[in-house]
Formats: sequence, structure tokens, C-alpha cells
Amino acid sequence: MSVVDLLTRFGDRYIGALLMTWRLTAVSFIAAFVIGMAVTVARVSPIRPLRAAADFYVQIFRNIPGAALLILLVYALPYLKVVLSYYACVLIATMLIPSAFCSEYLMSGMNTIDMGQIEAARALGMTFFQMIRRIVIPQALRSSVLPMTNLAVATMLTTALASQVPMNPTDLTGIVTYINTHATVGVMAFVISAALYCATALVIGRVGNRIDRKVRIRR
Amino acid sequence: MSAANASIRDALYEAPGKRAKQRIAIATAVSVAALAALLALIIRQFYISGQLNAKYWTLFTRYTTWRFIGQGLLMTVKVALTAAVITFGLGFVLMRGRLNPHRFVSGASAALIEFSRGVPTLLFIYFFFLAAPQFGLKLSSFWRITLPCAISACGVVAEVFRSGVNAVPKGQREAALSLGMSERRTFYRIIFPQAFRYVIPSMIAELVIVLKDTTFAYVVNCADLMQNAKVLISNYDALVSIYLVVAVIYILINYALNKASDLLARRPNRRNIAA
Repeated sequence: MSVVDLLTRFGDRYIGALLMTWRLTAVSFIAAFVIGMAVTVARVSPIRPLRAAADFYVQIFRNIPGAALLILLVYALPYLKVVLSYYACVLIATMLIPSAFCSEYLMSGMNTIDMGQIEAARALGMTFFQMIRRIVIPQALRSSVLPMTNLAVATMLTTALASQVPMNPTDLTGIVTYINTHATVGVMAFVISAALYCATALVIGRVGNRIDRKVRIRR
Repeated sequence: MSAANASIRDALYEAPGKRAKQRIAIATAVSVAALAALLALIIRQFYISGQLNAKYWTLFTRYTTWRFIGQGLLMTVKVALTAAVITFGLGFVLMRGRLNPHRFVSGASAALIEFSRGVPTLLFIYFFFLAAPQFGLKLSSFWRITLPCAISACGVVAEVFRSGVNAVPKGQREAALSLGMSERRTFYRIIFPQAFRYVIPSMIAELVIVLKDTTFAYVVNCADLMQNAKVLISNYDALVSIYLVVAVIYILINYALNKASDLLARRPNRRNIAA
């Protein structure tokens, strides 16, 4: 099938698929970021059981394969009387996994902070939460823009999990199997999806670099 | 979780006073209660849905179950290691291309690296599964999962190699060249061996990514751990317990690999040149 053929027959679907991939990426990334931040605060809190639980959370979702997590959500949860929509299952999988990595990046961002700053903050009488909010988080964020950019791209790649469940509209990977059931899927169908993925990754990378140049702390 | 993280973690507060101790105690009690409640809720959900029933779990006392899981695991390891060897080879070639002084070669390599890094593994898998057979590329299910995993990882591997090469001090190259070594010899004898040592931890971490990608083997019907789990499920009609155990196996393997990578990264390497 030529590109023109492909686009006249499936052009609308490609737009829908692209928007679906974007939507999943954006929602998952933002959610992963919020969860990752909360987990990180728990990991540095003085409350031991909370620390341990947050560490455990990170190890689980950092190490579980996406497919295994999605299968558990889609097939195992209904047996436990928790029935979620396919979209919800995909979304949960694509935000829990990046949230663990987000916390890891924030933790290493934190380690770039000079101990003297913590001592100074404490000498000024700041409370734990003041210190976290005013000193630690701003600097951890500023020095983790590039890892976060990579995380956004990784989140986009994870959203390909959506192709493993029936969804309408489907995502950029799912559309290839959709086309395959309606026509012979040629190389071109893959090239279009791959190009759209790469373009998205490129844009994310550009935006990340620009933000990084603006906020990076020069030491 | 690691010693490096512990530093900032513990620097955030010094020995708590009387009031802080009290507050920490209260917060600890509250969080223990909350975590216990969460755990209880999960167990209750298992209980009321009958998933704690012995018939779902006794299968794990049988030798045949574990042998079958072991066979699947062996296939998973085989796919992951083969893909890793290929991806390290491809990554090395792409890195050499990227560092080539010819603009065309380095530009093309950079484009291939971006392509590999920007496209999800599943799309590569479907390419080899659905499109490749049309132009006569008939692969076995083993290669249908191994090749996409390798291709999808090679871009990152190339960049990791490159960062390793860049981390080798310039003086090393200059010294080698002034001793009369050719550029080629300098790279293979002096620069790359050192670069390789720098990037070993990242390479192990990359192995985790490859291993995770191999779980898509069920798409192409390759009898890996995930696929064998499916067979077990249809034999024993015990979906939840089997998928949970399999997920735990994956988590433990990846955890061990990540731990090894962390340890190697922190190992004081006396043979490294003090840059």
C-alpha cells in the first residue's frame, strides 16, 4: 500500500492514534511526577515504616516489566472483584512504572545538594517541611530536568502497552495491528507510526533541553 | 535503598528532640496503621474473592510446575542474553559511527540512534511479526522477539559507550599518539578498554531493560516465562496466583541486576586513572 492510499484510508485513525499516545503520555507523565514526588518525600521522611514502604514501592515498580503489570491489572484484578476499564488499566501501568523512576531521579538530584545548605537551613530554624519545600525540592528539580526529559520519552515508549488491550481509538502501536486486520499491513504503516513517535520524542527532547539551559544550577 | 541516598536522607535532620520524637512516634504509629489497613484490605480482597483458596496455591508445591516455570525462565534468559550480545555489538558499531570524523557517517549514526531510542519495542516486534514475512524474512519465534529487543536497546547502548569514551581523559589519547600508535590502535588498545570499564554498571542496567522487553515474547508465541505462565494457567485454572508469582520472579531478577550494577558503580576502582 502506498503512503497516499494508507493516509486516505487510515488518516483519521492515525490522527486519533497520535492524540491517544500524546494523551496517555501527558497524563501518565504528570501523574508519575506527582506520585514520584510524594514517594520521594516519604523516602526521606524520618518515619521509618513510611520510608520502608516507599522504598519497597520504588523497587517493585522499577523492576516489574510493563507487560507483567498490565496483565495483572487487566486479567488478575477482575478475579479480585476490581474491574477497571482498559483505558484505566493502561493508564495505571504507564504511570506507576515511571513514578518509580521519577523518584529515583529526584533522589539522585537531591544528592547534588551541598550538605552545608541543609546545615544552614537548620541553623535558620527551618522545619523539615520548610526545608524540603524551600531548599531540597527546588534544587532537586532543577538538577533533574534532563533525567525527567528522558523519563517523559520513556513514558511515551511505555504507552505502547495500550496496543495490548482493545481500545478505541487505539494508540500509535495499536493502529498497526488494526490496519493489519483490515488490509495487508506494509512497511509504510510502520514508518508512519515510527516517525510520529520519533517526532514526539524529538520535541520532548528539545523542550527539555531548553528548560534545562534556563534552570540548571551552575556550580 | 543505597548508601549514596542515605547521606542526604540522614543529613536532613539531626537527633530529634523531645517534641520531635513525640511527633515522629505519632506519625510512625499512624503510618503503620495506614499501611496495615492497606495490607488488610488487599488480603481481604483476596479472601472474599476466594483467591486464598488452597487449590490456587498448592500447584506451587509440585516439581512439575517449577520445572515448567524454569524452562520458561531459561528461554527468557536465552532471549535476553542473545539480544544483549547483539545490542552491544550494534551499539558499539553505532558509537564508532557517531564518533567518526566524516559528517555523513556521524549524522547517519546519530539518526539511527535517535530512531532506536524513539520507537517503542512493541512496534519493532510487530514489524518483525507482521511486515517482515511479506518480503520473505521468515524468522523463528525466537528471533522475532530477540531481534526487536536488540534493535530497540542499541541506541541507548551506543550513547552509553560514547559517554564512556568521552570520560577517558584526553591525555591518554595524546600520550598513545605521541608514542607512535595509530588512531585505530589507540582507540582499541587505550581508550576503549578504559571506557568499557566505566560503563559496565550502565550495561548491566541496560540488561534489565532488555529483560523487561522480552516479556512481550507472548506476542510472537515464543515459549518464555510469560508464555509458559499462560499454559500453566490454562492447566490449573489459577490465573491470579501464577501471574503474581511470575511477576515476583521478574522483579527479583531485575532487582538483583540493578543491585549488582549499583555495587559495581560504587566499587572503588584503583586501576582507574586519577583524571
